[in-house]
Amino acid sequence: MGNNKGNRKSLTQRHVCSRMNFLYQASTLMAHSNNNTLAAYYGKLCRNVGTKALVKISPALKRTLCNRCSLPLLPGVNTTLKVEEQQQQISMEVEKPTSTASKRRHRRLRGKRNKFHKDASKVDRAEAASTINIDEQTNLYLECSLCGAKRRFHVDTHNECWVERTEAIVQVLQTSNQANIDDNKGENEMVQE
Amino acid sequence: MERETESLKEFLTDLVVPHHRCNVNIIPDHITMLHGTKIKKQHTRKRRAHKSASLTRREYAKLGLNALPTRQMRYEQALPLHKLWRGYIREHLDLKEGEQVPQLHEKRYDEFSRQLVKMDLHGAKLRVHQSKCPTLVGLNGICVMDTKNVLKLLGEDHRVRTVPKSECVFSLHVDSMEFIIFGQHLNMRPAERSVKKIKSYVEPFM
Repeated sequence: MGNNKGNRKSLTQRHVCSRMNFLYQASTLMAHSNNNTLAAYYGKLCRNVGTKALVKISPALKRTLCNRCSLPLLPGVNTTLKVEEQQQQISMEVEKPTSTASKRRHRRLRGKRNKFHKDASKVDRAEAASTINIDEQTNLYLECSLCGAKRRFHVDTHNECWVERTEAIVQVLQTSNQANIDDNKGENEMVQE
Repeated sequence: MERETESLKEFLTDLVVPHHRCNVNIIPDHITMLHGTKIKKQHTRKRRAHKSASLTRREYAKLGLNALPTRQMRYEQALPLHKLWRGYIREHLDLKEGEQVPQLHEKRYDEFSRQLVKMDLHGAKLRVHQSKCPTLVGLNGICVMDTKNVLKLLGEDHRVRTVPKSECVFSLHVDSMEFIIFGQHLNMRPAERSVKKIKSYVEPFM
């Protein structure tokens, strides 16, 4: 209450915040109903409103939008979260010698138990797929289905950005005290430095 | 490369007096060919390195993001958007249940009318109340796109219609209230409208 300047700032930006919140929700809604044009349009507009009014989207939300066409990237709906190719190749190389050795063994045993061989090969393949081991250096990425841009994520999260730390948050403002909290999925938290 | 130096050697030996031609010895390493195209290639490589993250307008149009198909969207698809918008407008205008439009002498009238201009129209149910063009009068639908000069309304017959802003007067309902909006005052980009400073008095034009 004592910080008069902060209060005034929150009042002027409140409408922009609620508008951006609405646009973000609209774009995710359109992405769910498979309408890419409108989803990208609302996402872009959400960004543009933010740049015009100098309001920042919190980084966790910003990362869900494609950085080229602003289509919301929803793994399981639009895209799938994938492991980067290079890492996969290395792990496959590691896997190869063992698989060939097992094949040889199977070739020797083929005459005796043909059935067992099929089962074993199946298991082998499943192993190869699951052994893309996710360690700290693995990169995950989401590929945009519309424009083909990639958003990369590091599994190793030793360095986080400043806004995500707890000491960066000076003041948390409640935007809505009313009854419509239920549809506030993507709340834009105002973070002031 | 090989062929070019061959032709050059031929040309040089032709210049020499005929009975000395057998003594001509050209070392191919000493020949440097100038290629016009090489410089251009380097240019393109540099440009690609500094490719910006965002789409250019041309790429944006190529992906088909500017065009909204006329008959593809169903009216039922836009209904959740309208529901979302109703929640938003209640938050934006700070409305409570069963509230009326503030009168001119009330204190919050100024603030209310200022917010009314800045509101987002995506998802609103609009009706063309009055227009210079008689065929547009009476059109209604959910607004799905809002550009500088044009609104795109998705009608109940599953068609997207483009309505010019400047020639029309729109009416819209929020709960029990009805607003009449002069389209001329909406004539700017939706992103700019939220930060635009608005005069306290504007003249109606019709």
